[in-house]
Amino acid sequence: MSTLDELRERALAAIADAHDLDALDQVRVTFTGKRSELAGVQATMRDLDAEGRKALGQQLNAFRAAFQDAFDARQRALGEAALAARLESERLDLTLPPRRLPPGRPHLLTQVEEEMLAVFIGMGFRVAEGPEAESGAYNFDLLNIEPDHPARQEMDTIYVDGYEDVVLRTHTSPVQARVMTTQAPPIAVVVPGRTYRADAVDATHSPVFSQIEGLYVDEHVTMADLRGTLLAFARALFGSDRDIRLRPSFFPFTEPSAEVDVSFHGPGGHHGWLEILGAGMVDPNVLEMCGIDPERYSGFAFGIGIERVAMLRHGVRDIRELFEADARFLARF
Amino acid sequence: MKLPLSWLKTLVEFDLGVEELVEVMSHSGLEGEDVTTPGAGAAGIRTARVLHFEPHPDADKLRFVRVTGDGGDGEVEGVCGAANFEVGDVVAHALPGGHVPGVTGPDGAKGLDLSSRQIRGLTSHGMLASPKELELGEDAGGILVLPPDTPLGASLDDLIPVGEPVIEIAVQADRGDHLSMLGVARDLAAILDTTWRAPEVPDRPSAESIPVRLRTDGCASFHTWVLEDVTIGGSPLWLRQRLTQSGMRPIDVVVDVTNLVMLELGQPLHAFDLDRIGGPSLTVREAADGERLVTLDDVERTLAAGDLVIDDADHPISLAGVMGGLDTEVVADTRRVLLEAAVWEPTTIRRTSRRLGLTSEASTRFERAVDPAGAARAVARAADLLVSLASAAATGSDVVAREPAPAWAQRPSVRLDPARVRRTLAVDLADDVQVALLERAGATVAPMDDAGGSADGAGLSDGAGSAAGHLDVTPPTWRRDLGRQADLTEEIARLHGYDNIPDHLPSLPTTGGLTPSQRAERTARDLALAGGFHEAKTRPFVGPRAFAGGLPSDGRVLLANPLAQDAAAMRPSLLEGLLQAVRHNHGQGRPGVALTELGRCFRPVDDPLGTALDAVIGPRWRWTAPAGEPIPLQPRVLALAAQGRKLGEGWLDTEATWSVWDVLDVLDRVARRLAPPEDPTWQLERHAITREGFHPGRTAALVLQGQEVGVVGQLHPEEAERRDLPEPVVVGELLLEPFLAVTPEAGHRPVPARTLVRHPAMTVDVALVADDEVTYATLERTVRLAVGPLLDELWFFDEYRGAQVGEGRRSVAMRLRLQDPARQLTDADAEAVIESVATAAAGVGAALRR
Repeated sequence: MSTLDELRERALAAIADAHDLDALDQVRVTFTGKRSELAGVQATMRDLDAEGRKALGQQLNAFRAAFQDAFDARQRALGEAALAARLESERLDLTLPPRRLPPGRPHLLTQVEEEMLAVFIGMGFRVAEGPEAESGAYNFDLLNIEPDHPARQEMDTIYVDGYEDVVLRTHTSPVQARVMTTQAPPIAVVVPGRTYRADAVDATHSPVFSQIEGLYVDEHVTMADLRGTLLAFARALFGSDRDIRLRPSFFPFTEPSAEVDVSFHGPGGHHGWLEILGAGMVDPNVLEMCGIDPERYSGFAFGIGIERVAMLRHGVRDIRELFEADARFLARF
Repeated sequence: MKLPLSWLKTLVEFDLGVEELVEVMSHSGLEGEDVTTPGAGAAGIRTARVLHFEPHPDADKLRFVRVTGDGGDGEVEGVCGAANFEVGDVVAHALPGGHVPGVTGPDGAKGLDLSSRQIRGLTSHGMLASPKELELGEDAGGILVLPPDTPLGASLDDLIPVGEPVIEIAVQADRGDHLSMLGVARDLAAILDTTWRAPEVPDRPSAESIPVRLRTDGCASFHTWVLEDVTIGGSPLWLRQRLTQSGMRPIDVVVDVTNLVMLELGQPLHAFDLDRIGGPSLTVREAADGERLVTLDDVERTLAAGDLVIDDADHPISLAGVMGGLDTEVVADTRRVLLEAAVWEPTTIRRTSRRLGLTSEASTRFERAVDPAGAARAVARAADLLVSLASAAATGSDVVAREPAPAWAQRPSVRLDPARVRRTLAVDLADDVQVALLERAGATVAPMDDAGGSADGAGLSDGAGSAAGHLDVTPPTWRRDLGRQADLTEEIARLHGYDNIPDHLPSLPTTGGLTPSQRAERTARDLALAGGFHEAKTRPFVGPRAFAGGLPSDGRVLLANPLAQDAAAMRPSLLEGLLQAVRHNHGQGRPGVALTELGRCFRPVDDPLGTALDAVIGPRWRWTAPAGEPIPLQPRVLALAAQGRKLGEGWLDTEATWSVWDVLDVLDRVARRLAPPEDPTWQLERHAITREGFHPGRTAALVLQGQEVGVVGQLHPEEAERRDLPEPVVVGELLLEPFLAVTPEAGHRPVPARTLVRHPAMTVDVALVADDEVTYATLERTVRLAVGPLLDELWFFDEYRGAQVGEGRRSVAMRLRLQDPARQLTDADAEAVIESVATAAAGVGAALRR
């Protein structure tokens, strides 16, 4: 066996033995580098005659080709193995929770309020606002709630100390008066906001709650318009299979007035009605006091309790949970 | 108002079950709130006479009793704990095997089954029942003693409708007529299109009663009857039941009858002991300031001018319409009774009742207006009942009335345009149908002639214009709520049925949507949510130790009638509510929580917070009353509070706690997003401040145009300790009002696009060393100015303190991204930038670190 044959056997064995890319590179240096045995064989070239050089040259080329093939193959194999090892080492359990701070959630009341507003905005209503500590003139007088009327007493008003006539508004209706005294018809506004009553806190009462008020004043507004608007609202919010029913009621600022119920289908085919809002045709006294001619214009108004809708829709049993700011509650919706 | 079913049926024809009836009523303005059946379950109870009693030999407080039903079932023995009866009294005997419903056992179970049992060695067969045990009253202190003429041996069921349904309705504020059985019966008759009937009453005796002088328009009419030989005693079973079902307490037959008639007919009555009235005549007049009267409840009342009194020529004997006087009240030996029924002015009664804090069944009815035509019937009805139940004789009567009737007692006719009704309701109701509906309600309707007068000659038009086709509607005397066309429209709609009103979705002539300012408010909240803060809604009431928050002041908006002392003021800042919520979550064992709230804070009109806001945006954010009077400041605020570890769903960061940076990040982002774009005057500055409750080294005021509009900081360790919260606790709030007010109606001007530079960017890091007093803001501003237009972006990336820079100093490192739109930058440009930064830094007491 010639030297080169023997060298090739050893080189190929060393390549096969190399277990990583560094070792493989070391094999390359050992067998083909400047101080390798190959270099020694190559150096003998100059002592040979032309024929001998040619024969050795062919042997050397064959050696190099064989070495390179084995080297490349081994390098590829080792590279693939290294990549596979890396990928294996980088394995993640993606069922772990992501280590990111999630965004906070809007309050349930905000979500319900915005959903309700969106329905009315889609119909053409704009959004109006007003103060929570409100002048009694807007909260009562301009809404036809006379100082001596029992309705005024029934409102359980919280009064602000040190001012002639300022209360925590008992409803969002004063914004009706603010809008009507500053804008000319046609007027179509919805008014979300906080309202207050001197109610002790329990599972169903809160001294603070929120309403969405609606007001539409124009020529020839009818009670059918009111019913149609509220029906469309109830179906948008609760489902297209719902119906509404109007029952006579009393509010000082509307005449005729109605309580409005929405139908529901309970378990076992049970059918019933849930009261969700109060509504009516704007009382001509209110229009007149707010500077709108009741002979020419008519209007409807309604007021919806946001807490009540939220509690009905989501099965919240205790109104206190809405104001406790327990993160378990807040994050749920 | 509570409506016993059998009582209602004596006044109106109907053929509906209770459920159906409640449904119909609730659909027509008589909203049913509850149906109860007091006395239901009572069984095996009969009337009996006490034959004999003696003290129990082994128990001081018990009696051994023998009673008989006289019905052939002989004598029965028992043991009784009450002492309010005599031999011969008629009592209610619950027999063994029977049941009394009004007892609550020691296990909480309701009702008691009776048997024969041993009580201290004697056998007791059943029991003698108290009113409470039979649910015929609240009285549990003694047994029920019935009038002597009560049939004996009769089953309770045969005497009264035991356990019948009682429907409770909510009475609307304008429907005082619903505060009586007759009023409800009349309305039901209108609703069901059937007939009602009032009880028959006798004619009044022609003999005179005590003379009455009516000296005020506060009383429309005053009716009296004189009853002699009155026997005061207990009321019969049926009367006791009626009162108890209606929620009133039986007292004696005279008081009970006046109460019964009030419940039945809606007209309150008063009974005087005629022998205890001092003078020879009565005067109905307005009280003078400071007059005194001891009312039935034994309280001395000081009267005010305008209160209405009945005077016996000596002194006031009754606070008219509210409560009678103590010294003329009917007592056990009263023999002569003066029955009074009067029609009082609602407003006056309400004012008196409110001023004295004295609400009675009478005042409740008068202030909602009674039927001015109902008093005569009521007083006659009461007299008639007392003649039969108290063996009295009616010997005289009198009526005095104001002529003409005061305006408040009149029910003027109303002009009705049937076409307008059709338009309002969008229902094609023919004139004659409208007339028929109004007549069902008790109104009289006549067509009007062209001149506006009633065609039959009565009444005048109350409006201008042609009256052709209009109707002249006179409401029934008991319907004060039907005073205008709108009221009649509702009545027509109600009786026709609201269900018959069609639905029509109007196409509004307005465009809907949020204004840019309203959208900005939502953006502010969204940015807080994006920062990981959950939105809370807290009650805005605070106590005296509330956290003062941004722009602290002593100014509080106080409540005149707070629900509690720790809720006596409106919040001056949102932070107190949020901190309490943070404490709540910590108390629930939560490792950390971050909360935000967007709402109004409340300050007095002259609070410095108002001055600061005015300086930025003028006074347009302030609300006023109609005539421009100021009302409390209530600007909108975005507030944040956080404490403890950061956590996500199912993940807890054991390294990171909420820090002041998290709060600052949100508020800074909000200010930048909401401010007018690229307007340097709307950039929020941060000034280090010390403030009570805050960490002295970790608190900054948020300053806009030189005015504080917010605060960010960590709670002082002592404040955290006081709130029982582990540190750090971080809070911040920002007044949104300037940003919302500066948002134009059409939104801010559009942000102009910037040409993207295509030449490669160059990155240069600079580090400046300066004393700690030199703020980062100063250093950054200095670098920006020094670099000039080549600066594309600037990032802070490191802060170093240590030996290399010296005590009280720090090194701040920034990475600059440089670009020129016209050419590629070279090393020479970088050198020039670094040199100009070095020069500028020296100007603010900083040195470039080379």
